[in-house]
Amino acid sequence: MTRFLFIFCTVLGSLFAIEMLKPVQEAVIQPFTGLLAALSTALILPFDDTVIAQGRILRDAASGFAVSIEAGCNGVEAAIVLIAGILAFPASLRHKLVAILAGFFFVQALNIVRIISLFYLGQWNYTVFEWFHLYLWPVLIMLDVLIVFAIYLQWLGKQHAKAEPL
Amino acid sequence: MLLRRQFVLTLALMPITFGMWFAADSLFAGPAVWLCDLLLSFFYSDIVQGARLQGATMLLTTQFGEHNGVILSAQEAGNQIALEINTRLVSYSIAFYAALLAASSLQESITKFCIGLFWLSGIMCFGLASIVGKDLLLMVGPPFLSAPGVPPADLLAVTYQFNVLLMPTLAPICLWLWQIRGSPLWQTLEADIKRASAQR
Repeated sequence: MTRFLFIFCTVLGSLFAIEMLKPVQEAVIQPFTGLLAALSTALILPFDDTVIAQGRILRDAASGFAVSIEAGCNGVEAAIVLIAGILAFPASLRHKLVAILAGFFFVQALNIVRIISLFYLGQWNYTVFEWFHLYLWPVLIMLDVLIVFAIYLQWLGKQHAKAEPL
Repeated sequence: MLLRRQFVLTLALMPITFGMWFAADSLFAGPAVWLCDLLLSFFYSDIVQGARLQGATMLLTTQFGEHNGVILSAQEAGNQIALEINTRLVSYSIAFYAALLAASSLQESITKFCIGLFWLSGIMCFGLASIVGKDLLLMVGPPFLSAPGVPPADLLAVTYQFNVLLMPTLAPICLWLWQIRGSPLWQTLEADIKRASAQR
């Protein structure tokens, strides 16, 4: 437990510090955030052709309403927590890599749902948008991280059971 | 099964706990604002005069003032820059924590909630202080950064990221995990951990 906590906190702190570095922001975080905006637009477009993505901004051409995906809204922090948890837990490198990739996918999938929902909530009612943006979605994303980590533990257990000789 | 029940119940209870938190937000934010006032006016008396709670907003008066767009000391400017900080940005951790705890149906849950509230107030205090740091960095800029004891801008940014964007959601989970030890839910989790950690 102590080992887990030590590695978890060290990885968490290190990844947070790395994420904040200017070159990392410019080369990784900002393009990734732009990609999230483009992906969200691509998912919305078949149903709503008034939406436009401009870099990190998602805009509704009809109403003029726009949301900008900023640091803290791109799901990177939640992914960092999950990665720290996965790296801190004893498992083989292959299992860790699979879990990180799958976990990152699940966190970002929910994050895209979050971005799209906020885009429409903002056009409907700004108070509701603020509530979901500032208080509810961060909790749901972190709950998603916890669920993914719990599923990872169960999956690891099953892998072990499979690997055990009869 | 117990874990699934925990997650479903947490989601189901969230509208109730968030509603209660919103109705009594100033009550929940009070201890954190008091601690923040104590901390900042003691360690940064050259920057902060004091902080108080007004509804769900923390009103912080600084030792800086402004005259013709120039940041001066409050004495020189003849006015004081004050910050209005939304305490809900950090206090929603209480609503999340309450949902997690209530979904676990633990023994002595009220006592556990009070202990959790105590720790969360401390964490919220650092969150509020981080918002103050970020706001002063953006609003006051160089005069704030050159004041004695103020950490560099990069450190302020990391602190804000950690204390405001991460801790309100991570801290309740850590507290909850600590408090469910010994419960049937913990035993389920422990069994999962044992099975999983045998695989290396």
